[in-house]
Amino acid sequence: MDFSLHLVAAFDLTTLPQQLVNGLLNGAIYALIALGYTMVYGVLKLINFAHGEVFMLGAYGALFVSWYLGYRPDGASPPASYLTLILMLLGSMLVCTVAAFFIERFAYRPMRSQPRIASLITAIGLSLLLQYSAQIFLLNGTPQTIQAGKLSPFVGNVTLNLRGPDQAKLDEAEKLKPSMTAAAAAFKARLPLEKGEFDLSPEGKKLQEEMRVAERKYNEAVNAGTAHAVKIAIPKGQVVLFVTTIFLMAMLTYLVMFTKQGRAMRAVSHDFNAASLMGINIDNVIVFTFLLGSALAGAGAMMYCTFIPGTKIDAFTGLTPGVKAFTAAVLGGIGNIPGAVLGGLVMGVAEYVVVWAGYDSYRDAIAFVILIIVLLFHPGGLLGSSKVEKV
Amino acid sequence: MKPSIKTLAFTLVSSIVLGAALTGCNGGSSSDPGKTTPPADDSGPKTTSTRPAPPKDGPMAEGDTIKIGTVCSVTGDNKPWGEDSYQGSLLAVEEFNAAGGLNGKKVELILGDSASKPDQAKTATEKLMSQGVIALIGEVSSGNTIQMAKSAFPQGIPVVAVGATRTDLGNEGTHVFRVCYSDDFQGPVMAKFAYDLKGCRNVAVMTDTSLPYSQGLSASFIATFEKLGGKVKEHKYTSVGGTNNYSGQLTEVKSENPDGMFLSGYFTEVGPIVNQARAAGITVPVMGGDGWDSDQILASGGDAIVGGYFCNHYNNADKRPQVTDFLNKWHAKHGGKDPGTTMGALGYDAMALTLDALKRAKSVGAKGILDALEDTVDYKGVSGDITLRGMNGNPEKRAIVVEITKKDAAGNWQKFAKDFIPADLK
Amino acid sequence: MFWGVRFSSIVLAVLGCFAIQMLAKGGAPYFQTLIVLAGVYVTLAVSLNLINGITGQFSIGHAAFYMIGAYSSGVLTNNYFKSAHMPELAWLVLMMIAGACFAAIAGFVVGLPSLRLKGDYLAIVTMGFGEIVIIIVRNQKALGESYGMTVGTKIPSIFLTSLLAVTCIALCRNLIKNVHGLSFLAVREDEVASSAMGVNVTRVKVTAFVIGSALAGAAGAVYGHSLGFFSPTNFTMDISFVILTMVVLGGSGSITGATVAAIVLFYIPEWLRDLKIIPMSGFIGAIIATIAVVAIVKRTMDGHQARPTKTAIILGSIVGGIALTIALRFALKGLPGLEGTIDGNKLRSVVLAAVLVILMLLRPQGVFAHHEFSWNWLKKLFGKKPAVVA
Repeated sequence: MDFSLHLVAAFDLTTLPQQLVNGLLNGAIYALIALGYTMVYGVLKLINFAHGEVFMLGAYGALFVSWYLGYRPDGASPPASYLTLILMLLGSMLVCTVAAFFIERFAYRPMRSQPRIASLITAIGLSLLLQYSAQIFLLNGTPQTIQAGKLSPFVGNVTLNLRGPDQAKLDEAEKLKPSMTAAAAAFKARLPLEKGEFDLSPEGKKLQEEMRVAERKYNEAVNAGTAHAVKIAIPKGQVVLFVTTIFLMAMLTYLVMFTKQGRAMRAVSHDFNAASLMGINIDNVIVFTFLLGSALAGAGAMMYCTFIPGTKIDAFTGLTPGVKAFTAAVLGGIGNIPGAVLGGLVMGVAEYVVVWAGYDSYRDAIAFVILIIVLLFHPGGLLGSSKVEKV
Repeated sequence: MKPSIKTLAFTLVSSIVLGAALTGCNGGSSSDPGKTTPPADDSGPKTTSTRPAPPKDGPMAEGDTIKIGTVCSVTGDNKPWGEDSYQGSLLAVEEFNAAGGLNGKKVELILGDSASKPDQAKTATEKLMSQGVIALIGEVSSGNTIQMAKSAFPQGIPVVAVGATRTDLGNEGTHVFRVCYSDDFQGPVMAKFAYDLKGCRNVAVMTDTSLPYSQGLSASFIATFEKLGGKVKEHKYTSVGGTNNYSGQLTEVKSENPDGMFLSGYFTEVGPIVNQARAAGITVPVMGGDGWDSDQILASGGDAIVGGYFCNHYNNADKRPQVTDFLNKWHAKHGGKDPGTTMGALGYDAMALTLDALKRAKSVGAKGILDALEDTVDYKGVSGDITLRGMNGNPEKRAIVVEITKKDAAGNWQKFAKDFIPADLK
Repeated sequence: MFWGVRFSSIVLAVLGCFAIQMLAKGGAPYFQTLIVLAGVYVTLAVSLNLINGITGQFSIGHAAFYMIGAYSSGVLTNNYFKSAHMPELAWLVLMMIAGACFAAIAGFVVGLPSLRLKGDYLAIVTMGFGEIVIIIVRNQKALGESYGMTVGTKIPSIFLTSLLAVTCIALCRNLIKNVHGLSFLAVREDEVASSAMGVNVTRVKVTAFVIGSALAGAAGAVYGHSLGFFSPTNFTMDISFVILTMVVLGGSGSITGATVAAIVLFYIPEWLRDLKIIPMSGFIGAIIATIAVVAIVKRTMDGHQARPTKTAIILGSIVGGIALTIALRFALKGLPGLEGTIDGNKLRSVVLAAVLVILMLLRPQGVFAHHEFSWNWLKKLFGKKPAVVA
């Protein structure tokens, strides 16, 4: 590997602002899912490996709602509306809540008095069970997509111009435009006489070549003009996702810190038995937390699959987001709500800095590298209480 | 008595020594079936003409049905492709049996699931062989196929690969055949198309690092494109273990101002990539391989993917009787739907070719089928004309490049652009 | 006396492995592969048991060390086997040692810093390490990228595979019988107390981790040379999970438990290859019914109300399960996607996962719990039973 080449690429600062913003938006997804993870862990002290699969079910829920409302890949569909998005969100959250209710009832509750590793294996088993069942029973495992282009009113980008292009060079390029359009017109006029675009007579070929040379010249000139422009394009949908994440973080923090239910949750998290002796209905608190965490996964699933255009929905959709969100939650300090968001954002930005530096094949490894490094120096995670195990 | 690390070490060493001595007395385990030493070909991915022949003739068909096995990834990451391959093979068998089978003897297709993992492909293959199959169809990925080939080699059972594109696959032995293109055909076809016909000179390639198909296709595309004089910059992403958010890679692509993009992955990732690329303002033509062939790409790529080009075996508008026949049968069986992926046609071809060989075979057994397969000349398959005689198991087929259009009333969404035959690349 | 017993048990073990090889030789290749894979899984489960069960450290990235063993020995064989002029079996032994060394080094590098972390934090670090290794391999041309690596010389040896498994079991068994091993157990039970008793906790943890990794590396070498080809998909996170499940289902800390669970869990998906076409609604009904019945039984058993007799529970759950299955079979028949039939082959993974959940619910402490298989334990188990029923 030619390291010097990468160094040069690494100093291409024009794309850095865009990549940092991309990273933040990317991290918001992880943060959103990590919120659910961290809530469940905080109370149950269980790494809920099935969280990713609940996420996957939520994605399917959103997909089915969108289909029911008529947004299918083929054929006409109703115009985009905010109501659709809200219905999809509700559908997805409902599916996740119902799934979580059954999971808690039949799998986790019987395991509560057992060693934690046993609950963990149950969670892993459930995760595999849901994955493989989904592959057989949900649309035969064919990857599907939500028609975000048709149903989302959040279209296009918000663009910020940080540094404009070199106007002099652009003007120069503009002078090349007439010759290019002329060549293109000449070729276009010729095309009907030919057998096909890819089956040209020698004259046609010559005209095509002229057109291409002119195009290349023009493009080169334009590129030279825009080479130093720095702008940031932010997809509107992802802005919604980002804002939602921050909003939910604030709401959850309020819930946990300043309400009665939150106090009960903290009490249960602190000491199961003592909380129960104080008259807290542990079952209710756990079910509430678990359903809330899963509903968050549903919200995350719907937004992820809608605002990242073209995202595939299949049985393994929840696997990677689940693992990464888990990593983010641990990175931020598991059980800590602002920590989960911070962890997600740090991971998202780190991934994009790696891509920017030219090591895009290691993009998915960097999260774990950062995690390991952070845990070595601060074993409780970024915002977690740092209880070092004394060795 | 205080056993210590020393005793442990003694235990370990003495047992190994004793064991080696014991097996040494037995003259080694050289009579182990399943032990092969395929030529370790370091000279590059070229298929050697001296492929080893299986050590013995395979089994004859026994019982009142002729058993043929297929190993498919019907679960796991490759399920959409494995499932289609299985359905294609099943279709061919049903058709064969409906036409009377081989002199009234029916063919039974036995499925073995590989769960998209090579070691399970091995156990599935061996399980099928223990059930008395005389030919094996399989696998959509090269890794799993190579494991099948290794297991079938000592038994002399022919393996007809469905979607294994690795060029060095044939090195496993004379019993390996395939019906798909190999990497050293499809990549150059698209490189030539991009350079000569689309006039691209500076292409951004996006490779899926978790997909051997994508890595192989990208490598051969890049090699040819650079030889032609173009400039390539490769970007990487991961489909297994990554998310569908490609804005980082696409920002880099945009800053490089390419005049074309080559996406060698499967349609499941290509759709989102193109969708996001157009949203990010990248307007250049996009191109890819036969992994794009699924109408799901229209669902995930939306309007963005329209106008993209990819290399395919046939398109729905193809009026060859094999194609219309196959599509009619598929539609009848699957409620009017097209095959979900290109593996439907390839799975059908692999099976139909094997059944054709069975008809031509001098004896109803593995050896007969193997020889008949090797002797295939100009078999008219759905995915093109297949000739295997003297080809080391790699058919020379026609490739067509198609353009993606909006779906019309008849469900067609691929417009023929250009065809290539192997001679075009020389 | 000691050396007499020791020596004869070694001889017996080696002869036993030799007998397995002789037995397997006559069998079909399928049978031979199953034995090799079973040996590999036993080694993996028992070695993870040393880390997870015996020392109480929570590692869920065992496949990484397995992978390192496979790839490092594969590279060595491809490069040096031809020039080494060694008999194949001796070379395989050498490769096992080499794979073990590489994995041990990796285990040391990962283990030393991260064993400061406890519980779930250690778990995620090991999981992350597994992912990192896979991603690195996928991007290395020399290692075959995501396609995988062909080992130029296949050396399938049932003898050495089973010997490795037996050695692994013997090593772990002997380890916990001597003073070093007792300190492992002490660390599991209480770190602070054992540290007060003069046990060097860090050293014990790292030793366990390194030995466990080394054994996994040796298993990887055997695996690679037996199959002749492997790819990163053979070492993914779910393989780690399966190994972990073997340990927990067998009963954390029980070597025999891990061994039995490894063989059983590995064999379930293979056994399910015989499953033929079945109705879809019946299948899903059976799974739902089983889980429901298990959950109900579980709650009755744990509840404080009057407990029905064991016979009543067993009979009730069987009858109830079958009734529920049949009811669901017809109730679900109308649902879209469930009206057809399905090839049993596609259900292998689903059934394995369902078995995991059900076994875990039924017996969370694992089949063998902390016990080892021994005649005394068996006697106690069966001797007690009539008393309960009566």
